[in-house]
Amino acid sequence: MNKVITINLGGNAYQLEEGGYDALRAYLDSAALRLQGNPDKDEIISDIELAMAEKFRTLLGSRKTVVAAKEVEAVVAEMGPIEADTGESAAPPAGAGATGAAGGRGPAEQQPAAGRCGLPRRLYRISEGAMLAGVCNGIAAYVNVDPTFVRLGFVFLTMLWGTGVLVYIVMAIVVPEASSPEERAAASGIPSTAQEFIRRAKQGYYEAMKGFPDHRARREWRRQFKREMRGWGRRFGQEMSWNAAQWQYNWHNYWAAHARLHPGLGLTLPLLSLLQGAATILWICASISLLATGAVFGLALPANVPVWAAALLLLFTYGILSAPLKLARRACYWGFGFPGAGGSFIFLADAVVWVGVVLALAWLAVHFFPELRAAAQSLPTLAHQAADDIRAWWTKK
Amino acid sequence: MNVNEKFSALRKGLLEFLLLQIIAAEKVYVADILRQLSQTEFATQEGTLYPLLSKMRREGLLDYQWKESEAGPPRKYYQLTARGREQLRETQEYWGRINGTVKKLAQK
Repeated sequence: MNKVITINLGGNAYQLEEGGYDALRAYLDSAALRLQGNPDKDEIISDIELAMAEKFRTLLGSRKTVVAAKEVEAVVAEMGPIEADTGESAAPPAGAGATGAAGGRGPAEQQPAAGRCGLPRRLYRISEGAMLAGVCNGIAAYVNVDPTFVRLGFVFLTMLWGTGVLVYIVMAIVVPEASSPEERAAASGIPSTAQEFIRRAKQGYYEAMKGFPDHRARREWRRQFKREMRGWGRRFGQEMSWNAAQWQYNWHNYWAAHARLHPGLGLTLPLLSLLQGAATILWICASISLLATGAVFGLALPANVPVWAAALLLLFTYGILSAPLKLARRACYWGFGFPGAGGSFIFLADAVVWVGVVLALAWLAVHFFPELRAAAQSLPTLAHQAADDIRAWWTKK
Repeated sequence: MNVNEKFSALRKGLLEFLLLQIIAAEKVYVADILRQLSQTEFATQEGTLYPLLSKMRREGLLDYQWKESEAGPPRKYYQLTARGREQLRETQEYWGRINGTVKKLAQK
């Protein structure tokens, strides 16, 4: 026993099994995606719907009124993928047929396909749900993270000599605002059908629930809503995996093109490791001096900043300063063809150099500055103090 | 790489020419076109045909008429415009020249 869904194709009602409905919907969605930007898009889609309607009609008779899922799949296969040659369509190959292919591609063999995966994405300001000018919102949509994190990032940048404010103002002026639905879709790379669906889901669900006259119609609507929600979830998952593949591909390509076996790499890598080791030890020393004396290398803290907050700030600063070093080292690995066999050897050697530098410097520091050893012993009390501060702040709130 | 793969680009390019010829002969709808092509090297699917037909219509080579059908929704019957016939004539001429060249060079 299977659930049946009634659809409207070219002005006639057809009853499909639920699985068949999903297949049909996936096919039509993928057609719409592939035809993005094609001037004949609407016409082609309506042609395809009519052609399918005719095929379904030949399958049905007076005794058979429902199209089975298998039959829908057969019809979809018979129609074949949409191939439009007007320009390079940037749309990803969506739909049931492409799911398997998208998952299993490694960076090397996906070269021709991966250049086209994901919708073209552009940086816009998004005023919908924005705090100020929508800059953070836009960035969040562009890199696909929660806008709150981007906002926190800006707040943190502001703490570093006010850089955040400056960057924000410049971006608010330079970055255009997404005003049309297409621009909003391009801002996040989510196809507009999915965007449209989210919008409808947000606005229409409860409105529609109120409007339905009887219990059965409401239930039918709820069922349909859930189904669309599931379908959207699947598409979203696909989008995410395409995005991941795209990033990975871009990253790989970039370094493969720019840093392939440069002779200087053999010298650069240990040098970078030394530098990073030194940065690490500098950070550790700064932290210890902060814990021991309440000041960083004799530089006193502002009056109302607790020690643990300053330690966190040091950690962030270290993270930001060492990030370029880390990236450069990673670039070197790529240059050596990482992650091949030789790459992992170099990775190991580099890690050994790094650990060696850190250990040697730490030993020297503790050996020559006995007060550092005392400071390390004050760590547990400091942790207690931080916990107490947080608890006090929380209860006050 | 076999001959079939080698000539896939060529077949794709010739499809438009074949459509012009098929539609010039009589008013047809898509299922007729697919049937005529199905037994040849140019066998194709709706997914390829509809975008191509729409493009040709936009370029003014084709026109269509709706006709009711007893089995299901109305169908689009395609026919050539004056411009389409002109294009067909030019393409046939050009194809004849290409064929001639191929034969001539083979005889040497």
